[in-house]
Amino acid sequence: MKIDVQALSARVHRTPLLTDVSLHIESGELFGLVGPNGSGKSTLMRCLAGLRRPILGRVIADDTDLGQMPARLRACRIAFVEQQADTTDRLTVREAVELGRTPYLSPLRRWGADDQAAVENALSSVEMDAFADRLWHTLSGGERQRVHIARALAQAPDLLLLDEPTNHLDIRHQLSLMALVRDLPLTRVIALHDLNQAMTCDRVGVLHKGRLIAAGPPANVLHEDLLARVFGVAAKSATAPDGAPRLHFSHAL
Amino acid sequence: MKMAAAPVRLVAGRGLWLSPLLLAAAIMAGTAIGETRLPFLTVLQTLANHLWGAGYPVDGIEAGIIWSYRLPRAIIAACSGAGLALTGVVLQALLRNPLADPYLMGLSAGASTGAVLVTVAGVGGGAISMSLGALTGALLAFGCVVALAHAVNGAAGGGRATQAAAAIILAGIAGSQMFNALTAFTIARSANAEQARGIMFWLMGNLSGVRWEDVWACAGVSLAGVALCLWYRRGLDAFTFGADGAASLGINVQALRGSLITATAIMVGVLVSKVGAIGFVGLVVPHAMRFLVGTRHDRLVPASALAGAVFLVAADVISRILVPGQVLPIGVVTALVGAPAFALILVRGGARR
Ligand SMILES: Nc1ncnc2c1ncn2[C@@H]1O[C@H](COP(=O)(O)OP(=O)(O)O)[C@@H](O)[C@H]1O
Ligand SMILES: [Mg+2]
Repeated sequence: MKIDVQALSARVHRTPLLTDVSLHIESGELFGLVGPNGSGKSTLMRCLAGLRRPILGRVIADDTDLGQMPARLRACRIAFVEQQADTTDRLTVREAVELGRTPYLSPLRRWGADDQAAVENALSSVEMDAFADRLWHTLSGGERQRVHIARALAQAPDLLLLDEPTNHLDIRHQLSLMALVRDLPLTRVIALHDLNQAMTCDRVGVLHKGRLIAAGPPANVLHEDLLARVFGVAAKSATAPDGAPRLHFSHAL
Repeated sequence: MKMAAAPVRLVAGRGLWLSPLLLAAAIMAGTAIGETRLPFLTVLQTLANHLWGAGYPVDGIEAGIIWSYRLPRAIIAACSGAGLALTGVVLQALLRNPLADPYLMGLSAGASTGAVLVTVAGVGGGAISMSLGALTGALLAFGCVVALAHAVNGAAGGGRATQAAAAIILAGIAGSQMFNALTAFTIARSANAEQARGIMFWLMGNLSGVRWEDVWACAGVSLAGVALCLWYRRGLDAFTFGADGAASLGINVQALRGSLITATAIMVGVLVSKVGAIGFVGLVVPHAMRFLVGTRHDRLVPASALAGAVFLVAADVISRILVPGQVLPIGVVTALVGAPAFALILVRGGARR
């Protein structure tokens, strides 16, 4: 699914959260969204998910205005993994993933074989088959994040939105989650804190105080000048032993 | 304990088809047991006589007790228990708050105020029945709570649906306090000791004096409530990870929340207007049922409705036989059982975290 964000603005009362954001995301692309805390990443993700109505501008998903799309149809095409989504309910991993089929079911349409297949596939693509009958509250943070992604995949979306999915995960879980996301064959937009993880995206966009100030291939966008200006850090780009570009941060400015 | 949960769930899930039988048995027991214990056979014969004119020879007084007094009472207890438990399920799911229950929304406070204004302060000059007063009060209070929650949300800048849930709970507490104060004020101003005692009784739940006319209203709203909740079971499930989670699963959060909460408010309003304010059923039964059948609403809704019904029929029987020669307010019994049960749930819930 290709996404066209046209002159998008969002605000609460008179405080602008996003100002005049325009952005194009290609079909099948892994698009990283970076920016300091409070720069509007989550707000933009919520607009892309259709959860927040922009005050100006539009989001066009494959030629359809998101604001005009019925909620249920939207949920069949766009899946969203929120920054924080937890529950105190005692439900199993499988039940959590089954929620992803909600937009395909109706009070009269029963759970079918295709729903079951979608759930099983989603569970195995995040390698959580063995956890299917575990209760939610017994899972670690990384496992919960995987289940959230499985739930999103069970929606069989064309666009997957992930809001800082690697937060609070240890390094192994961060890397395996990024590897998982990189291999998914669909359009993905991922908000990230770790700029070196952002370096592995196809393209990145930089949000600063609610404005999109740069977008493009990570090596071109995340240069020393911008990192100093937006993130307030002194950084050097270097080539890692594996040949990929890596950012090295020395101190806060 | 974690290990034990799964088989219990399985058994409870499979046993669901038994529920109409269980409910019928509870109503039979509620009809047979009382100050004068009547044989089950007499109960069945009386039912057969009334339902299809079977013509069994049954003592007239006993038949009168069964048909005009105990049976409608047991049925209304069942309907009220089901309705209150169902409202707890809906509110706890939609507001994502384990403490949400029917009375949090100001319903019981408003019903009390309405009833007191009609009976004690003489509002309506006798043209309005206490039930109608209570129903009006309940819905008025509910309207105030919702309006207040909207105002709070508006001032906070709309924002996320999760905040809206917090706002409505705070608004519910404010509204309940306000209407309770109005009730206390009216009683203090106008009631004599006799009236005050009667009102106290009613406020704790009172099933005496219910008639067949009341049965139709109560059965109608609670059956409609069960049907509505089953129809929207997947929508209720979708709130597991919060309102935003539901929205991203394609649920129209505001519409679903608005219509289900309003529908359950009307249901509780009708029930409270007939039987008074019975506490703890709406709070405890849904939690207990989540332990037994899990959190999926296709099972939780029927299980809670059934358990609430059976629980309240049992509580009514206990309220009639616990102190010989005296009928306790049913709310006393539900609180005496419900409060420790709730404490147990809290402790067990705490232990597993
Ligand atoms: N409902 C709201 N009311 C007031 N301010 C908000 C609201 N939602 C977000 N904000 C503010 O908008 C800014 C952007 O937030 P967010 O999109 O969550 O940033 P990020 O995800 O990049 O950390 C923050 O300064 C935040 O405080
Ligand atoms: Mg954020």
